[in-house]
Amino acid sequence: MTSDIVFFLLAAISVFTALMVVFSKSPIYSVMWLIACFFSIAGHYVMLNAQFLAIVHIIVYAGAIMVLMLFTVMLLNLNKESEPHKSILSKSIGIITGGMLFLVLLAAMRSTQLGPYSAPETTDVGFVQKVGMKLFTDYLLPFEMTSVLFIAAMIGSVVLAKKERNI
Amino acid sequence: MLAEILNLRKLIVPIVVLGLAVIFGLNLLDWNLNKSFFNDMLRVDNFSVAFGGLAIFATLLVLIMSGDYYQKEQGYISDFTAILIFILVGGLMMLSFANLTMLFLGVETLSIALYIMAGSRRFDIRSNEAGFKYFLMGSFASAFLLFGMALIFGTSGSFNIYAIAEYTANAQGNISPLFYTGMVLVIFAMLFKVSAAPFHFWAPDVYEGAPALITAYMSTLVKVVGFAALYKLLTVVFFYTSVKTGLILNIVAIATLLVGNLMALAQDNFKRLLAYSGISHAGYLMLLMMASQEQPTGALLFYGLGYVLSTLAAFAVAIPVFEAAGSEKIDAFNGLGKKQPLLAASLSMAMLGLAGIPPFVGFLGKYYIFTESLHAGFFYTTLIAIISSIIGVYYYFKVIVAMYGKPGNDQKVTFSFTYALVLALTLALSLYLGIRPGAILNIF
Repeated sequence: MTSDIVFFLLAAISVFTALMVVFSKSPIYSVMWLIACFFSIAGHYVMLNAQFLAIVHIIVYAGAIMVLMLFTVMLLNLNKESEPHKSILSKSIGIITGGMLFLVLLAAMRSTQLGPYSAPETTDVGFVQKVGMKLFTDYLLPFEMTSVLFIAAMIGSVVLAKKERNI
Repeated sequence: MLAEILNLRKLIVPIVVLGLAVIFGLNLLDWNLNKSFFNDMLRVDNFSVAFGGLAIFATLLVLIMSGDYYQKEQGYISDFTAILIFILVGGLMMLSFANLTMLFLGVETLSIALYIMAGSRRFDIRSNEAGFKYFLMGSFASAFLLFGMALIFGTSGSFNIYAIAEYTANAQGNISPLFYTGMVLVIFAMLFKVSAAPFHFWAPDVYEGAPALITAYMSTLVKVVGFAALYKLLTVVFFYTSVKTGLILNIVAIATLLVGNLMALAQDNFKRLLAYSGISHAGYLMLLMMASQEQPTGALLFYGLGYVLSTLAAFAVAIPVFEAAGSEKIDAFNGLGKKQPLLAASLSMAMLGLAGIPPFVGFLGKYYIFTESLHAGFFYTTLIAIISSIIGVYYYFKVIVAMYGKPGNDQKVTFSFTYALVLALTLALSLYLGIRPGAILNIF
């Protein structure tokens, strides 16, 4: 089963890169690992027949957002010395709560019997045409509401960044 | 926004207020409509109409005040008005969703607009802190919400809330544990939005740092809408499964009641006091969430309305007082009873309404909540709620004592027409509903 091998390979890469994002000392390395992580997730999308989503994911996240993040990291000039040190108490609280969530998820996964995977009848579900048709018919309202969300965010960023002027 | 180009800033607020009033009327026309729109994305029923009306009403009152509040910041008023309207849009989405994607979009629209408003005093470090803290915590909660929805979708195979309910009804006893995990994650995210303990840590800092008018908006509209959305989730989507969350909700309710009321005792900042009072009110509303199997929609609406009226009345007095005193401590009210007895009396009425003293609406609201939760069989939790509401009376009286008992300076508080209008409207409604609750309570 080649698809199984590819899946596990991709899964291993995404988990490994995601861990490296957290464990890397330098923020720049973290960002780089994050790019690798995004690419492997795009690989998962392709395997699920969602080619359009995969391309958009790479363009938007690996392209635009990563560049933005790199700029931010460089402008802020973060380095090891300026990294704040958390106390042991807050660290251990974080570990305990995170571990508990992990445990719950693990237990839920273990006792779940997933049904057999049935491949979709058509292989072109992820193409632009199909996605577009869905988006502009069944999911028209969420699509439009997303634009409301974005315009709120845009106005907000303008308000917060606007120069003070005398009126 | 358009008006700014035409240099008609003075007209923005009246036009928007008028528009909202029209929308309020149109919304009420949809009573008993019970229809789904846009391929089952939105569902307009009596629930969404009633709470939507409440949300629009709260926005209306806040906007009436915003004209005077932002007098010194005329350049921003169009932006702020637009963002306030976006918050309302997000809130309405959260009330009438029939699809979980709409719920998520609503929560996000509401929250992102709120992060901006909380941080909108750019040169005030506390406002910056409020916006940033709210943003970080809120995006974390949104991630939980999204993850929970993904798990629910994965197990039930649908985003449509009625399809999910059908799935849980048909698969009784055979529901995947992942569904429960998703359900709990979604509920936690909503509990964060309504600032129930132990997810309340952001609330006092954010309420204190944000501009006072936004605090008023946050503590009224957002809380009521959040609870209505949570209630809809519990009664529609998770109706057959929410029994399992009984213990969690119970613990959260008790923790919220105790934290809210006990922490409020130690506050000397008025906004912080109202933040903790908001948390304790979230605790009372949590009792209704626990009793959601009994469908106490009327009590929820009644309490929500009462809370909105009292809080907005309190802020309508407090904002001009803060501006005159230049501080937001409770001390700012010192001596108000001698200077401006009418103002002081109004604030006392608002405080008594919040504390739940008859004949104000808060008393009956609490009474109905306690009855409902006793009906549902939560004896000890109700007992704790009653005890904590007695504790609550103390800190609300602290403000009243400051106004009448303590000497203050002679500085007059300029009280403009719009604040007076809001104050008169809220207090009159609060009194009316306190005497004749049937108008709202039996609406369903």
